[in-house]
Amino acid sequence: MLMSIAAEKGTAIAPALEAVGVSKSFGAVRALDDVSLGVRPGEIYCLLGANGAGKTTLINLFLGFLEPTSGEVWVDGRRVRQDPLQCKRFVAYIPEQVMLYGVLSGYENLRYFAELGTGERHAREPLLALLQEAGLEPKAADQRVSTYSKGMRQKVGIAIALAKRARALLLDEPTSGLDPSAASEFSALLEKARADGVAILTTTHDLFHAQRSGTRVGIMRRGRLVADLRTSDLGTRDLESLYLEHMSA
Amino acid sequence: MNAPLLIARRDLTELARGGRLYWMGGLLLVLLVTSLAVGWQRQRESQGERARAQALDYADWLAQPERHPHDAAHQGMHVFKPEAALSIVDPGIAPYVGSTLWLRAHRQTEVKFRPAQDATGLMRFGSLSAAWVLQLLGPLLVIVLGFAALSGEREQGTLRQTLSLGVSMREVLWGKALALAAMLALLLVPAGLAAAPAVLLSAEPGARADAALRLAGLAAAYALYLTAFVFLVLAVSAWATSSRLSLVCLLGLWVALVLVLPRLLADASRAWVPSESRREFDRHLGADLGAATQQAWTDRFGAGKPFGSGVPLSQWGAGLRVHDQAGYGVMDRHFDALWDSYARQQELQGWAGVLSPTIAVRALSMGLAGTDFDEHRAFSTAAEAQRRLMQDLISDDLVEHADGHGEQHFTYRAARELWARVPPFEYRPASAEVALGRNLQSVALLLGAAVFWVVIAHAAVARRSHG
Repeated sequence: MLMSIAAEKGTAIAPALEAVGVSKSFGAVRALDDVSLGVRPGEIYCLLGANGAGKTTLINLFLGFLEPTSGEVWVDGRRVRQDPLQCKRFVAYIPEQVMLYGVLSGYENLRYFAELGTGERHAREPLLALLQEAGLEPKAADQRVSTYSKGMRQKVGIAIALAKRARALLLDEPTSGLDPSAASEFSALLEKARADGVAILTTTHDLFHAQRSGTRVGIMRRGRLVADLRTSDLGTRDLESLYLEHMSA
Repeated sequence: MNAPLLIARRDLTELARGGRLYWMGGLLLVLLVTSLAVGWQRQRESQGERARAQALDYADWLAQPERHPHDAAHQGMHVFKPEAALSIVDPGIAPYVGSTLWLRAHRQTEVKFRPAQDATGLMRFGSLSAAWVLQLLGPLLVIVLGFAALSGEREQGTLRQTLSLGVSMREVLWGKALALAAMLALLLVPAGLAAAPAVLLSAEPGARADAALRLAGLAAAYALYLTAFVFLVLAVSAWATSSRLSLVCLLGLWVALVLVLPRLLADASRAWVPSESRREFDRHLGADLGAATQQAWTDRFGAGKPFGSGVPLSQWGAGLRVHDQAGYGVMDRHFDALWDSYARQQELQGWAGVLSPTIAVRALSMGLAGTDFDEHRAFSTAAEAQRRLMQDLISDDLVEHADGHGEQHFTYRAARELWARVPPFEYRPASAEVALGRNLQSVALLLGAAVFWVVIAHAAVARRSHG
């Protein structure tokens, strides 16, 4: 039986998110091939790779939306395939395109998803504060989401993740569609969450963001994790050249 | 607040801000209220007319002058089937089988009669009643409100967002079901509350508790019926890969389950258990009656021809009694065979409720409303008992008083007291408990349909647990 890396190595701090020897095939297509990685509390793991490299598939495995063909995925020490609901309650997820209910306002969407995710009632003021923290203009909070831009929707998605107070974040290109200033605010939010001990796994194409915000970086190519290193180990090396090196290998 | 309640609340908010609930729900509500108002008006008129006609007819009977009793028996009397209080909601087969019987000498008559299920197919498209609206348009409303409940959320990506929060598909399903149920309740409960006073006022003062029970039973029956459709719609919405496909499939199912199958199965049941045509029935009954009475005359009087010259007028009353009573068994046999064939057709159609909840709810609705074939048969049987009572009283009187006149038999004139010995006809419909007991098959099938679609919906969402 596959053991989590922490259990196997007897590591003191167990990864909150962990994939062990995970492969996933869709028919003849092998989307993931023997991927192992772990994200501990207080880490931001940036997963890089070209489109179709398997990044989103890996996120979907952590969310229990897909089951691995082989290997095992763990969240907070629980096997995802055994207890997917409990695992999902432990994480918050921000997709590339946050999907909301158009006829509801940003605030109503946040209240709905926050109450659904936490099972608790939420007062208006703290939720409005979360929207503001996520970068949404206060006047937009009560407008219908059908009038929102993609960036504004992303901000509501970020607020939903914040409201859940999750111990792990799964982010699938979360800054896609955000303007540079909003993306920078988002990076600050991530840093704050990391400092609070949240484990963060994010996919991105933004190498600059990965090098600046990430504590670890993984590079995926054709379903395989071809590089897994600490950003602090990069030293003066340029992530872009390392990335291109792996892509052209 | 738990997840299904949150989901239901959000769905309701979304629907309240959209147009579908207003135009479709409003249309259904208008039709429902209109049909109830029309039903109430029609029932009040016919109830009054029947009560007045019943009283006038009996007064006519009592007001007969002194006359030969057999003349009075040929005049006979009319009886009128009382209008069921719940006919406001479901007139059932009543409009098609008539309500008036002429009770007269020698022959059991029937109301203008057709096979009961003739009234349930295409003919019913013409009659607007609350039952018709609920049976046909209720499921359509559920479809319009719910076809995109799951498929639409999947297309928009909001289902994935919801599931990522640790909400199970089962919770989503029950949230959607709750929302649809709440919307239906929002539309139907006010209509039910509006119908309740009308139904209770229409019932005889002593039968109001019974009418209330029947109304509660009807509410439960339609709740179960619409529950089956709520989960059917959600099952298809969960299974379909797009909202368009979901809508197309559901409209196809609506046509099949609500429109085509009931009609098709009604025809199939008549083919499977054929019943005699009116002409055949009359011919066979006439022939058997002729043979039975002739035999009775032969056995009693040794005379081969009823009322022939072989029997003296001093035995005319006795002959009449022999003649009529010889026919009772024959008429019972023929009418029972005819009605049993209708009952078997109904039973077959009842089992077809396995395929279509519309068939089951239709039978249960008519049964609880007291407008079904069983009630019609019970009324016809009670009316025939009244006819025989009248006929036997008159024959006995002839034997006692007229036969002694010998060849002057027909000079006998009965006093008015004789007419008063025939009591007024009173018919008490079966109680709600009896009506329910007669329709347990439909109750079981409706319950089965609801449970079946709940299970199917769960299976469908289990397949989509990844959003």
